[in-house]
Amino acid sequence: MEELKDEEFNDWCPGCGDFGILRSEDVAIKELGLDPNKMVIVSGIGCSGKAPHFVAEKISGVHTLHGRSIAFATGVKLANPDLEVIVEAGDGDTFGIGVGHFVSAGRRNIDMTIMVHDNGVYGLTKGQASPTLKRGEQTKSLPKPNINDPINPIMLALASGYTFVARAFAYDVKQTTELIKAAIKHKGLAFIDILQPCPTYNDINTNEWYRQRVYNIDIDASVKTEEDVQKKMDAAIDLSRQTDKIPIGIFYQNELVPTYEARIKENIPNYPAINPANQKIEGNGVSITSVDSFMKALTI
Amino acid sequence: MQLSWLIGGAQGLGVDTSANIFGDAVAKSGYYLYGSREYYSNIKGRHSYFTVMIGDKTMNSISENVNILATFDSETVFQHFYQAKDFIIYNKGLETTQIEMVRSMEPEIIMESESMLEKAGLGTTLIDAVNYAQKKGAKPIAIDYVGELDKIINALKISPPIAERAKNIIAISATYALLGLDKKHMLDAVQSRFSKNETFLKLNLMAVDAGFKYASSFYNLKDIDANKAVKRIQADGNTLSAIGKVAGGLRFQSYYPITPASDESTYIEANQILNLNGSQDKGGVVVLQTEDELAAINAAIGAALTGARAATATSGPGFSLMSEGISWAGMNEVPVLISYYMRGAPATGLPTRSGQADLKFALNVGHGEFPRIVIASGSHKEIFGDASWALNLAEKYQTPTIHIMEKTLANAYSILNVNDLNIDSVKIDRGKLETNLEDYKRFKMSDDGISPRAFLGQARMFYTGDEHNAYGHIDESVTNRTDMYKKRLVKLDTADKEIPQEMRLRQFGDQNSETVLLTWGSPSGVIEDTMEDMKKEGISVLAIQVKMFSPYPKELMQKLLAGKKRVIAIENNYNAQGADVLTEKTGIMPTNYILKLNGRPIMREEFIEAMKAIMQKGEKTVILNGGA
Repeated sequence: MEELKDEEFNDWCPGCGDFGILRSEDVAIKELGLDPNKMVIVSGIGCSGKAPHFVAEKISGVHTLHGRSIAFATGVKLANPDLEVIVEAGDGDTFGIGVGHFVSAGRRNIDMTIMVHDNGVYGLTKGQASPTLKRGEQTKSLPKPNINDPINPIMLALASGYTFVARAFAYDVKQTTELIKAAIKHKGLAFIDILQPCPTYNDINTNEWYRQRVYNIDIDASVKTEEDVQKKMDAAIDLSRQTDKIPIGIFYQNELVPTYEARIKENIPNYPAINPANQKIEGNGVSITSVDSFMKALTI
Repeated sequence: MQLSWLIGGAQGLGVDTSANIFGDAVAKSGYYLYGSREYYSNIKGRHSYFTVMIGDKTMNSISENVNILATFDSETVFQHFYQAKDFIIYNKGLETTQIEMVRSMEPEIIMESESMLEKAGLGTTLIDAVNYAQKKGAKPIAIDYVGELDKIINALKISPPIAERAKNIIAISATYALLGLDKKHMLDAVQSRFSKNETFLKLNLMAVDAGFKYASSFYNLKDIDANKAVKRIQADGNTLSAIGKVAGGLRFQSYYPITPASDESTYIEANQILNLNGSQDKGGVVVLQTEDELAAINAAIGAALTGARAATATSGPGFSLMSEGISWAGMNEVPVLISYYMRGAPATGLPTRSGQADLKFALNVGHGEFPRIVIASGSHKEIFGDASWALNLAEKYQTPTIHIMEKTLANAYSILNVNDLNIDSVKIDRGKLETNLEDYKRFKMSDDGISPRAFLGQARMFYTGDEHNAYGHIDESVTNRTDMYKKRLVKLDTADKEIPQEMRLRQFGDQNSETVLLTWGSPSGVIEDTMEDMKKEGISVLAIQVKMFSPYPKELMQKLLAGKKRVIAIENNYNAQGADVLTEKTGIMPTNYILKLNGRPIMREEFIEAMKAIMQKGEKTVILNGGA
């Protein structure tokens, strides 16, 4: 019998936008020179969820539940802040079943990256409308035109407090790579909405459709002082509302907001150096945690 | 020696605080206590009360009759007058209050109280209720709260609303005086509670004096010096679970607020910086309040993958939301602990009352088959020990572990001997860990089903909720599926072989008795505390409290129950779920049932009556309904 090998056959459809994202991600990680052993990709359910099994870099992968990748990633990152954590989730994952986690993550500003594979459909369940498909559109497998309005992921991220908000187009590998690098380097929670054609089920938002509409953002989205916040936020919101053309690039970046790790440090002074994952808890099979102070406070 | 004491009042007016101060003072005198708390799902205004048992040894249950009933409002009198045995302390200014005027009482309670009063030929004012108690032998003590407070207000020149809460202290001081214990302990208890605020301290010390004027020693209790010499603590179930977990190496706890579980998490957060034996460094527990229980369980699972001991704490509604995450943890062999505080269900149910109706849910939570360890604690002492045990089992068998407690124990407090908790020898067993991290296979096949763990950041590894191969990559091939399926479930057989069955249950009473009382969780307390009283009624029993439902101590149960004539299941649910598990595993059925569904703990008197009905009158099932 052939020995089992640590590699997976990539079963995405030919022409899938996921390939562009995967390629960009691999290049970005390589170019950043990050230690693969200290990296974790946490994914959700759907085609995007398989990404950690397919990356070429020797990174650990945690393929979680539908909608819950951000919650899992939150636990991984806070328990071991030495890890570089990337969340890869779909648009249904993030803006449908898991939207509560997406919004709540914005309130925390944990230093990690969320990449959303946004194709407007639920591919693995045969093409139902996702939360980003526009009202009135009828992609290939919809029995009727979509009667729900779409979520605006960029505006939702801005409203939720994300400190790095960007949009990419999966087939612009060069720019997507740069955006992933910037997102990983960003100190705080970074979000990239990656527009991605689904050649099998989304016959409206095709590669050609996107190519005719995308253009590069040419504003400086980076907040330098507290006074910048209002102005840069307004500019980002204006850009996010554009529908005729699709701006790609960084909409907003603000590193002045303290990370969640810094906020925990306010309460636990030796965090993140001493963290839940690297603490010694026993010696010779016996707990080394002293509960004397607890007992003292409760003593009669 | 045992006495029972009850104080009640509107929620938000310091009933808990006063019960704690009273308890503190009595405990300082060397006594043991068990204090049970009842309250509505409400912030201010609804009736709450504390029943406190006072004894010379530890206890785990309450009686319905109370020697001393301490009140300062009218609702407490109307809800509890029939329970008063020796004394009823009441507010003189409320004597003419009509029961109908107490708007916060539910109509059924008003009707029941009215009917009791009418049957006794009494009217329905507060003094009628006091007279009812008097007829039954209780001595009324009327306290002029308004007059006493006025004196304090004038002396301290403070505003009436500030003085209002001193009523409680007057009430508890009068009752404390009845006990005959040293006033110094009461003054000390007040001192330590209010030391941070000079005005409050003065106010409450004056209230102690005011209370003492109304009563003098009746019970003539003396300090128990031998007990005073022992290091003892006063703690509730939430706190003991929290400390047990932290002592057991917990370093990450995520939670979403829910009664009666959240107090555990907030206690950990308040004490999150840890001292370590033999080290100058400090440890720290990250406590994360999440947006919902889905995030709470999944964040805990994520943390566990990094090697941190991780847990969450919740109650029924939250546990329902966690079920998908628990299934993922089962599939991915993640050691995650869920501290499950059961309350009245289904749905929102009785959010502040107790229940045992989720046992089978805990045993079957999550889609698909995967092993889980399920432990149920029956006392405060057990909660402390079981919390760290649960963390060890989770890591040893790499599977979700559920530690069941009930609201009854979560919110009740006990006086415990610190020595009984074995705090200096809390064992930590991290299970199999991988040292060779080259070409690491997280789910490597092994005979016992357990693959050595490595943590994220140590080696490359994969986790997926899909069926997976040894590396953790998706693999749906038929052979792999069968092998992996078996591998996961074999772990439960391994656990079953390794965990001594004697540790999975507790037995007490008469080994030779033909009658077995079969229970789990908090009802074990009432059984233990009534063993002597039952003997006086000619009832001698063997009690078996099941502590672990998965893996179930099947062979030991078969052995213990062989040849027994009668098996009486005692539980706080309709179907006797714990006994159902016995039947499922052994084919043995209970012969009788004592069940209680109303969310209140089983009380001693009703339990003994039920036992008599079964043993002497041949009743098959008794449904209890005691409590207020």
